[in-house]
Amino acid sequence: MEVGLATNLFKAAILFYLLGAAVALILINRHKLCNIISNAIYSVASALLIVSSIIKIISGSGQINISLFESPIPFITMNIRIDNLSAIFLLALSLLVLCVSLYSMGYISHYYGKRNVGIFNFLYSTFILSMIFVFTSANVVFFYIAWELMSMLSYFLVIFESEHEGNQRAGIIYIIMTYVGTAFLLIGFMLIYSYTNSFDIFGSSAAIPEFAKNIIFIMFLIGFATKAGAIPFHVWLPQAHPAAPSNVSALMSGIMIKTAIYGFVRFVLCYLGIQNTWWGVLILCIGIVSAVLGVAYALMEHNIKRLLAYSSVENIGIILIGLGVCFIAFAQENLLLGEMALVAALFHTFNHTLFKGGLFLGAGAIQYSTHTKDMEKLGGLIKTMPITALFILCFSLAVSAIVPFNGFVSEWLTYQSLFANIVSGQAGLNILSILAVAALGFAGAMAAACFVKLFGISFLGLPRSDHSLNAKEVPITMKIGMGMLATLCFAIGLFPLLILKLIDKVVFSLMGSSILEQLHGGCGIAYYSLNLSSGSISPAVMLIAIAGVILLALLGIRIIGGKYIERKYGTWDCGFEALNSRMQYTATGFSKPIKIVFKILFRPSRETVVTGDLAYHPESIEYITADESIIEKYIYNPVCERIKYFSRRMTFGVQTGSIHSYLTYIFVTVLLLMLYNMIA
Amino acid sequence: MSNFFDTLSVLILFSSFILMANKMTKSYIKTFRIQSMLLALAVGSMAIKSIIEEGRFDVLVVCLLIIILKVIYIPNLLNKAYAKAEYKVEKDFILNIPILVLVCCGLVVFCYFCLSTIDGINDGVINVQVVNSISVILIGLFFMISRKKAIGQIIGFLVIENGIFITAMFSTQGMPFIVDMGIFIDMLTAVMILGIMVFKINEEFDSIDIDKLNNLKG
Amino acid sequence: MKILLYIVIQLFVIMMVAPLLNGIIKKIKALSQKRKGAPIFQMYFDLYKLCKKSSVVSDVSSWVFKVTPYIVFATAIAAALLVPVSTMIAPEQLPGDIIMFVSILALGRFFMMIAALDTASTFGGMGSSREALISSLTEPSILVSLFTVGLISKSTSLLQIMNVMKDKGVPLVHPVYIMIFFALLTIIIAETSRIPVDDPSTHLELTMVHEAMILEYSGRHLALMEYGAAIKQLTFITLLVNILIPHDQLIALTGISAVMLSLTIYLIKVIGVCIIIAIAEVSTVKLKLFSIPNLAALSFILSVLGFLQYFVLGGRYV
Repeated sequence: MEVGLATNLFKAAILFYLLGAAVALILINRHKLCNIISNAIYSVASALLIVSSIIKIISGSGQINISLFESPIPFITMNIRIDNLSAIFLLALSLLVLCVSLYSMGYISHYYGKRNVGIFNFLYSTFILSMIFVFTSANVVFFYIAWELMSMLSYFLVIFESEHEGNQRAGIIYIIMTYVGTAFLLIGFMLIYSYTNSFDIFGSSAAIPEFAKNIIFIMFLIGFATKAGAIPFHVWLPQAHPAAPSNVSALMSGIMIKTAIYGFVRFVLCYLGIQNTWWGVLILCIGIVSAVLGVAYALMEHNIKRLLAYSSVENIGIILIGLGVCFIAFAQENLLLGEMALVAALFHTFNHTLFKGGLFLGAGAIQYSTHTKDMEKLGGLIKTMPITALFILCFSLAVSAIVPFNGFVSEWLTYQSLFANIVSGQAGLNILSILAVAALGFAGAMAAACFVKLFGISFLGLPRSDHSLNAKEVPITMKIGMGMLATLCFAIGLFPLLILKLIDKVVFSLMGSSILEQLHGGCGIAYYSLNLSSGSISPAVMLIAIAGVILLALLGIRIIGGKYIERKYGTWDCGFEALNSRMQYTATGFSKPIKIVFKILFRPSRETVVTGDLAYHPESIEYITADESIIEKYIYNPVCERIKYFSRRMTFGVQTGSIHSYLTYIFVTVLLLMLYNMIA
Repeated sequence: MSNFFDTLSVLILFSSFILMANKMTKSYIKTFRIQSMLLALAVGSMAIKSIIEEGRFDVLVVCLLIIILKVIYIPNLLNKAYAKAEYKVEKDFILNIPILVLVCCGLVVFCYFCLSTIDGINDGVINVQVVNSISVILIGLFFMISRKKAIGQIIGFLVIENGIFITAMFSTQGMPFIVDMGIFIDMLTAVMILGIMVFKINEEFDSIDIDKLNNLKG
Repeated sequence: MKILLYIVIQLFVIMMVAPLLNGIIKKIKALSQKRKGAPIFQMYFDLYKLCKKSSVVSDVSSWVFKVTPYIVFATAIAAALLVPVSTMIAPEQLPGDIIMFVSILALGRFFMMIAALDTASTFGGMGSSREALISSLTEPSILVSLFTVGLISKSTSLLQIMNVMKDKGVPLVHPVYIMIFFALLTIIIAETSRIPVDDPSTHLELTMVHEAMILEYSGRHLALMEYGAAIKQLTFITLLVNILIPHDQLIALTGISAVMLSLTIYLIKVIGVCIIIAIAEVSTVKLKLFSIPNLAALSFILSVLGFLQYFVLGGRYV
């Protein structure tokens, strides 16, 4: 009965999204009406989907089957099947979409009369639908179609503000990288089909020989890592996310790149089954590199949204570390550890959806009221946008894995799974795991630095330009959207078992045993603490301790020092008396020491241009500093050069432009195919 | 007792890391002296052990030789060379220092993996000591690669020698006396020749940067 | 009940002893310079006086500036509660482990860094930017060294680690522990802004890190910041001495007298580490900012070597 309810709710949600898309097209010329009505519909649809997926997970490990389109040809059958794994991703998706849709009601208002809001909302809702289908499709062809649709629609959304040349370039890089990744996926799928003659995602992979499994794994690894934006396949991510409108970047960074994590779990872990330890080791290595380099490059950015995009790379790295440990453990048949690491990875996926979605919404709010994404032009926003500032502070703490927010709990689980991996692991894996611990620690501290920079430079101090001086607080709907996410981050950070119980059910339905027996709690307030055999934490108790100490400190100082007397005075300026906003530390200055220390990663270059005749009285001094990513410099640029060179050669050799030669190609190909058919 | 030797081998290994992280020529010599002291301590305790257990005195002689040569004589010789040289601080390395140190750490891990495949080395007490001491040899070699000044080269050479010696010591619990003597005489000759070379290079090129030796090419 | 008792004793010891350490270190430094120096209880007087003074607050600043001292102080205390001064008084379970410990301190540091940017002062920005560098350099070695001792005890809980270490006799002669000891010592020096990483007694912009961040604070806010820093320093020292130089196994007594004895030995150990720190401070010069990575690399190497020794030994002794 419960499953039936969940099914109906799911169907209703899909219908509502379709309705929203239709409404957006019908009201295409009434911008305001269109936006508010369609976003209201999306919110309702998401609320339905939230309820549906929670009911689904609680009701047990059954599956929901819906047949959208049945046909005798297996290729074009469109079946939806929701198991607990799909449901947890649907839950994350719908939570985020609910908040983003509420937010969009206000955010899109700056497009009124300037852009086609109807088309935007249509694309937005179909984009969400395509992601829902990616998570729920039951056969590979349908999965592939949904995957392609998702890439295509997000491409259109990325280039929505296409008059900026940078955005078009970002879109092109995005679409190329996506298609390269998808091509690898396609090879993987075709290999699977050639061995099993089935497109069923939930089928058995027993017919695939081990050698072929290795190849399929590599194909999936490249394909999904490209979508996830893991280093070295990340080049599209810092380009595409900043280009898109902020609500779309929130969706892309919050949930779209997680489709890759879903793919890893669904296709590699569940479908192929883990064969070799090196699969996990490879993923762990990619995770370590992504976590460290992602955050290092994030720190160098002063465009808020690029910074956030690189931070997504870091978080994908952390998720992949968890996933890598999980794969290693399953390959060595250490089921308990594998499940724990899987829980860690899924939990971090879920948390990252919340806080990174929120951060992108916050970046959108800044852009909405200041019309700039450049941190060097911001400052002092905490005075003009106090509520937004508070929310961004919450998200920043969450993303830096700081108590008592949700990012900390999932990183704690990741640390614990690494710890257990060292305890039980064999030679070599130990060293890798301790490296991963060091990398996580480094990434955590750098992430804190990164978000101190984001928050400190854009919200604190003096306004650095008129943009931030004249900023206004954003509309209420935007605040509600961000506020819901911030509350969720805080609540999950305090009571992690709220979500862990759901994730545990997912793991239970996948692996057949529950990790929750390991996560039992005591009583009373400590009920929501996390206990593992190796350690336990209780963020709620720590928060109470901190609050208690603060109260005691207030009281104690009141008793000793009497009433609080405050004197307002200017900031200490060494007697200079003309301190202005240009003398503050800039975003570039803030990250400069790290840039110098890790110059091997950034390859910084600087140039000083002095104009004017006199050395002591120059007319102007221009200081240019630049850094470039070693990955782009040493991997992508040479490859691109080669491809360019190759294509130029092709223009003369193969693509002659003569119709006769083209006909010859076709002719020869047909002949060869016939010959192949004869032999094979 | 083996606990004590383990600790000493780790400290000797760590002293070569400190050497790697230094850039003052004077501190090279200081660190080398400390490393030699630790070496002497290890050999000394081994000597006492062999006197008590087997009644052999040759290890004690080796220990005294180490103290005389490596702790006192060679560092003093190098200090003299240092006083004449113009360059007091090493400025350019092939990589920056933190990375050099991390590479050294990689060398230790590498060493462990290479040695863990050798049969019979995993059982018994030798393992950790041998891994540590062979790492000292590799770090010494890497030190020579990373430094450009002649004094750095000598120190690197001496560290390699220390590493070889401690490896032999830990794996055989005292080599035949004649082998030890041979090693010492070789080393002494090498250091003296290198010392003379330093003076010579300094005289000819007003610097002890061995990159300048490229100028000798026609 | 036991938990309440633990909290009271722990808080009392930590809050009473923390300012004393600064006094001792300053006294030793003064003696080494042939000065008489301030009395070792000077910091208590300072804190008292600062509490009574009114606060000057920059007119640029926001609520972040005023909230930060309380958060820094509270996180320092909360972190201190996770590191029992004596295993005798500790309850069965503490609400956090080494990762929580690091994260709690990160909360305080996060707020300290943003508060420094809040006043629009260049000093604040400079301090916060340098602190970002130093913290990201030391974080890996803290985690690796704590993980190594945790691995030996098969637990990440600090209390559990201390209990296991008690049974190891005198761990300091063991290669693993000696590496971890020096790694943690280096970390303490870096985390508590001591020479050679930072100079706590200077107000010269070239060398300031911690001082630059709290430059704008005055009155009770400054008192809280200073007190918080002192408590953090004591917490780290407690971590070091109680894990690597355990003493509770030596006490044969029971009841109150055992606790008193245990706390006395604890105090002696803490003062001993203080003397080491003071000697290090007297005998070295401050490193320039871009030489700190060398020190951090060495401390990281120490912790990794410690781990490797454990790993190479294969848990033979441990």
